[in-house]
Amino acid sequence: MTAVSENPVRTGSASARPERASLTPWLLLAPLAAYLAIFFVVPLAQVAMMSVTEPTPGLGNYEKVLTSPLYRKVFLNTFSTALLVTVCCLLVGYPLAYLMVHTTRRRAMMILLLITMSFWTSFLVRTYAWMVLLGRNGPLSWVFLQLGWDEPPQMLFTRFASTLAMVHILAPYMIMNIYSVMQKIDPSLVRSAESMGARGRSLFRHVYLPLSAPGIANGSVLVFVICLGFYVTPVLLGSPREQMAAGLIGRQIEEFLAFGPGSAMAMVLLVVTLVILAIYHRRFGLDKLYG
Amino acid sequence: MTKFTDPTGLSRRSFLSGTAALAGSAFAAPHIARAQSDMLYINSWGGPWLEAATANLFDPFSAETGIEISTVSPVSFAKLAAQVRTGVYEFDVTSLGGGDIVRANQAGLLEDIAAPYEGGVFENGVGSHAFATVLGWRTDKWDGDAPQSWADFWDVERFPGNRSLQRYPARILPLALLADGVAPEDLYPLDIDRAFAKLDEIKDHITVWWTAGAQSEQILRDGEVDLIGIWHGNYFRAEDAGAPVAMTWNQAEIERAYWVVAKNTPNMEAAKEFVKFATSPEALAGFVSQANYGALNPAANDFIPDTAKPRMPTAPENYPQTFEQDMLNWGGDPEEVSMRFEEWLAY
Amino acid sequence: MNASFKLIGLLVVLFIAAPLVIVVPMSLSSAPSLQFPPPGYWLGYYAQYFSDPTWLRPTFNSIVIALANTVLTMLLVVPATFALVRHKFWGKSLANIMMMMPMAVPHIVMAIGYYSYFGQLGIVFSKLGVILAHTCLSVPITFLVLSANLKGFDRTLERAARSLGATPSQTFIHVTLPILRPGLLISSLFAFIQSFDETVVAIFISGRNAETLPRKMFDSIRQDADPVIAVISTLLFLVVLAGLLAPHVLRLTRRLFGRPATHTEPRS
Repeated sequence: MTAVSENPVRTGSASARPERASLTPWLLLAPLAAYLAIFFVVPLAQVAMMSVTEPTPGLGNYEKVLTSPLYRKVFLNTFSTALLVTVCCLLVGYPLAYLMVHTTRRRAMMILLLITMSFWTSFLVRTYAWMVLLGRNGPLSWVFLQLGWDEPPQMLFTRFASTLAMVHILAPYMIMNIYSVMQKIDPSLVRSAESMGARGRSLFRHVYLPLSAPGIANGSVLVFVICLGFYVTPVLLGSPREQMAAGLIGRQIEEFLAFGPGSAMAMVLLVVTLVILAIYHRRFGLDKLYG
Repeated sequence: MTKFTDPTGLSRRSFLSGTAALAGSAFAAPHIARAQSDMLYINSWGGPWLEAATANLFDPFSAETGIEISTVSPVSFAKLAAQVRTGVYEFDVTSLGGGDIVRANQAGLLEDIAAPYEGGVFENGVGSHAFATVLGWRTDKWDGDAPQSWADFWDVERFPGNRSLQRYPARILPLALLADGVAPEDLYPLDIDRAFAKLDEIKDHITVWWTAGAQSEQILRDGEVDLIGIWHGNYFRAEDAGAPVAMTWNQAEIERAYWVVAKNTPNMEAAKEFVKFATSPEALAGFVSQANYGALNPAANDFIPDTAKPRMPTAPENYPQTFEQDMLNWGGDPEEVSMRFEEWLAY
Repeated sequence: MNASFKLIGLLVVLFIAAPLVIVVPMSLSSAPSLQFPPPGYWLGYYAQYFSDPTWLRPTFNSIVIALANTVLTMLLVVPATFALVRHKFWGKSLANIMMMMPMAVPHIVMAIGYYSYFGQLGIVFSKLGVILAHTCLSVPITFLVLSANLKGFDRTLERAARSLGATPSQTFIHVTLPILRPGLLISSLFAFIQSFDETVVAIFISGRNAETLPRKMFDSIRQDADPVIAVISTLLFLVVLAGLLAPHVLRLTRRLFGRPATHTEPRS
């Protein structure tokens, strides 16, 4: 996952090679470009088209999506949930990444293995696992009962359940991003700060935190953006009261065949996502994001 | 739902058709050829419905005609509409409840069909069976006290616990009105505002809005909820699985289900033949006996063993306690009410 | 600070591990429902999975679709990656962004697009449709992995081959490809998994002829919570575990038999 190597020397050497027929890159690129045009751009354009033509031409769907209380509430849910999930991932991921850098190599490898395993396990499986864990007769309720709790709290089909599961699913992205940055922090920098009198909290705030900030930014943007478009987990574990945008889009299509409003909502979601990524791209470059 | 006949739908379709045709022509042909195979696709309700239908309708039909049957689930009104609109068929035959069939026929989604028995056709659907939404509950709560009516379902003081209803306003609005004291004979047309006001009271106590019959069965069986408005077939499955549950026929809501053929489906012949078979007295009797439904073809009653009757909503001792859904005099546009319901749910 | 960090770390590890581990006992539970602790253990649901066509067919579909997706993706992405890594041309940065776009668009947005578009093309609900859609979605990750590999490629080897008289195609086949093999394998694996796990688009377009395993699982979780899901979850989890442990086991056995590890091992 951390395979993006930054090696300007080698890529530089490639361009040093005498430029011959400049047609070659185009020929190599053409099949994929054509493919993406037909099977990526056209369907996307169609969503955009449907949003302004279904059921009647005009901007009615956007007006509805941006002003009706239902859609506004759902978008608000979506952003607040994405923010909450991002913060939780950070709270979970940062200490763990810190620990991985500062513990024995063996232990770090074990943790890394666990995170990779979680990352590679289908997120449907992980969603299902949370359903098992949080069910009214599930292990967690059982623990509550053993602790003398009469009526374990309702966990499944709440915002708590879907948030928890999304944090679990997205935490590996955060951890890997922070970890890969922390690994590169020069220990001598930290040591020299220490020798100059920085201690504990202040050392952390003024030296360590700024140095690991790029990892935090990477991880947060990635988690936030993925979370914005989450469909499966909130639909299976959450309640309709805390519906997220993707869930409502899906319902518009599946239950009401309302392609117009569904597409308009999809376009809003898409634009928001792209704006966030574009800002990020300007600052850091998109290819760093999915390191 | 005017959009199925809306000419603007065509203009959208013609958009990009250049590219579409270019890329599509290569793939479209084999697809159409495949659609006319000897396979009939039927939209399945799952659970007890599917088991009974497979044993009594699908297998015998295949044996008789050589036409294989495959099922797709879940039952979805939007899917039916989508396939008529796109011309790509996921299923040829489906069965709709009273709530959907009026809507579907008005939108022109159903093929015209002849009555295989007298009085057998309603809105281009052939009457198959009656099922009920009943009140079910866990018997391991409230020390032997048991809810008996929808008013009790709403009584969160006397019956504390998790509740569940179907995410389907056409079926649950009448229940809310009954809970509010409306007499069954005065239900229709529904006072929709009053029903929503009554639903407000119970909203915080509904932990699950179920969307599939099997799901309702699972959450009752597993104790995820304590009270539930559930289809009787799924209720009995939970009971037979040994779950500590009980139900009442009092104020059960009876709904009729109809076989329909999707408009312009490529498997028209086989589809119509199947509907005729599925509503023939003997086959239907086997189907309803196994799944505890009430047969809508009266001739089927001659073939139903007495032992199968007590669990049928139409049995003489059950039917008087129930009430029937009345979609023709429902009291509102189901489509609009559905949207209002979705909005209501989000808060 | 260190002790508290350790405690937090332990809790986080537990949080990450618990859901992965819990499906294993659940798959062996004899209860027809989600019940803890399980009332008894048996292998009945495993037998059910391996004998039930409504579960095996989606599994088979998923494998076929993922394989076809992998082949198609590699055919498209490998040449494009060479173009983007080794050549300079006008519009290159735009092309780079284009390669990444399918990753940036929320899957639900693509799902509506494909549902409508493939409907018009007559390939919605078919394997072909799912393969075509998945290939789009697999492009970015495959490109990322492969381009990272290609950037780290030492070109002096190619030049050496050329100076010894090899033709460009000979050089490609005998030098470039063998060195790139681990990168090609890993990026194919990424493409395969991307397709095998993809759920949202599959829910909307896989339909009756192409139902994939994730779609079947999603439907089943939403509807009846069939205990067989726990079995599949366990199996999928074990496959991942085996895949991750395989290199370690290999290295260990190599060390035991005293053979030096080759240096072409993939970076993690």
